[in-house]
Amino acid sequence: MQNAKDTFYLTLRNRLAALNPARTIALAGKQRPGILVEENETPVAQRPPDVFVLRWTGAAVDHWLPAMLETQTCEICYWTRGSDTNLDMDRGKSLTQMDAELASILQPAVTQKLVVSGTSDLPMNTNVFWLDPTYDAAKRDGERLARTATVQVFSLQETLSNGSEEL
Amino acid sequence: MSGGSGSGGGMAVPSGWQTPSAPVMRRLRAYFAPVQRSSGVPAYFDPARAGAFNPSAPPAGWTDLGWIENFARKSSSTISALRSGAPAVVQSQVRQELEATVGFRFLSWGKLQLALAAGSEQMNLLATASGAVAAPSGGTAATAARTAAGSTSTIVQLTSAGNAGLAAGDIVAVDADYTTQTGYVGSGASAAYIPATGIPGGSVDYIRRVTLNVARVIATSGTTTTTLTLEAPLLGGAPSAGLGVQQVIGFVDREGGSFFQEWSALFAAQGEQGDWIFYHYPRLQAMQGAAETMVKLADPLQWVHLDAQFRALPVTDSNDGAQALCFRSYLPAPNNTV
Repeated sequence: MQNAKDTFYLTLRNRLAALNPARTIALAGKQRPGILVEENETPVAQRPPDVFVLRWTGAAVDHWLPAMLETQTCEICYWTRGSDTNLDMDRGKSLTQMDAELASILQPAVTQKLVVSGTSDLPMNTNVFWLDPTYDAAKRDGERLARTATVQVFSLQETLSNGSEEL
Repeated sequence: MSGGSGSGGGMAVPSGWQTPSAPVMRRLRAYFAPVQRSSGVPAYFDPARAGAFNPSAPPAGWTDLGWIENFARKSSSTISALRSGAPAVVQSQVRQELEATVGFRFLSWGKLQLALAAGSEQMNLLATASGAVAAPSGGTAATAARTAAGSTSTIVQLTSAGNAGLAAGDIVAVDADYTTQTGYVGSGASAAYIPATGIPGGSVDYIRRVTLNVARVIATSGTTTTTLTLEAPLLGGAPSAGLGVQQVIGFVDREGGSFFQEWSALFAAQGEQGDWIFYHYPRLQAMQGAAETMVKLADPLQWVHLDAQFRALPVTDSNDGAQALCFRSYLPAPNNTV
């Protein structure tokens, strides 16, 4: 299941970097594409603005198939308050742009599963695929405008070269 | 539970035996084995000997085709009353017809599942020769490589004549050339029937086009003389020298054809209490053309399951000479009374 989560994140990260290189975030002194996995980062009281934050919630496994089907739920949270130069009055436009970017990087809704490691990512034998996102209504909190999109991500458990089952 | 029943004495212990209840099971698993069509000999499953087995390691000769769904068997045997007298009174019964069918859905799409569900010949889409004319079941195939001596069911040795461009990742069909053979053809399992008149204009590749003797190549070695390492054993076992080896792009079945797949089948379910139910059909013939059922995964994703329907053919039970279509066996849970 972890490989599917890692693959999903890496795919969205790479697609975002290609789609909008200007959407970045500085983390631990490094400039990265503006998308992160919440559980992989230091806990913070407030998520950063203008970046996509992936939060893994639900998980289910169907054991009674030729290969176990894993279903995981990913909430993609993002918020903006617009730009200082426009005195936050472009926050609606900014949120719409993030909606559009998310819709774009989620297509195509399939990618080859990877074993993600620190050095090189090895392609696996199956694909990770997902449903179209469902978008919650935008939430307003002062100058903040936030949205959560939920995506169901599917993957098949693979048997590894040593005969063990993928975790 | 704490608190006694008031009977005094020590703690009650299990009696050691449990009154039997209806089996609770989750899903059936299907195993198939070829029927030797030319001799009419099926593969028999002996539950008294094989008994409970690891579902992933069926008895020798049986191929695991995975979980199935919507298993439904139907007895169409008819029993009639024999009457006599006036008014006519039932005096006895007679079994007039013996007939049974069984249907289910395969949950995976392997070569054998596709072939069994197709009803008739299920062809391999052989890689085509350059400039081949388009044909719905595959155009003229590229020239086959040839097996050399020393092959096993998972290691195929090719002659120095060349490997026909075969590489790791390819699917290959391994079988004889079609020359003037008639009758059932195909290594390991009968894959088609060639009438006495032969196949008009039949290609030398025809048997490899229909054979079930296929596997995925996972590695190659050598330069001019190539060795193919296969992912799974060939159904026909170790190939002899001189057979053709061709790349398979995919599989195709047709609404048509006159051949009926016939296999021995075993459907097994392990109960939650450790009991087992086996349904054994020594001879099953496909009785419908290719069909699928769409099962929703999550909108708009759908599983596509293969529908399969079979008619049971009789065998003679060696214990009493009776003809039978299906054998249902039950192995009770270890601690159940009977």
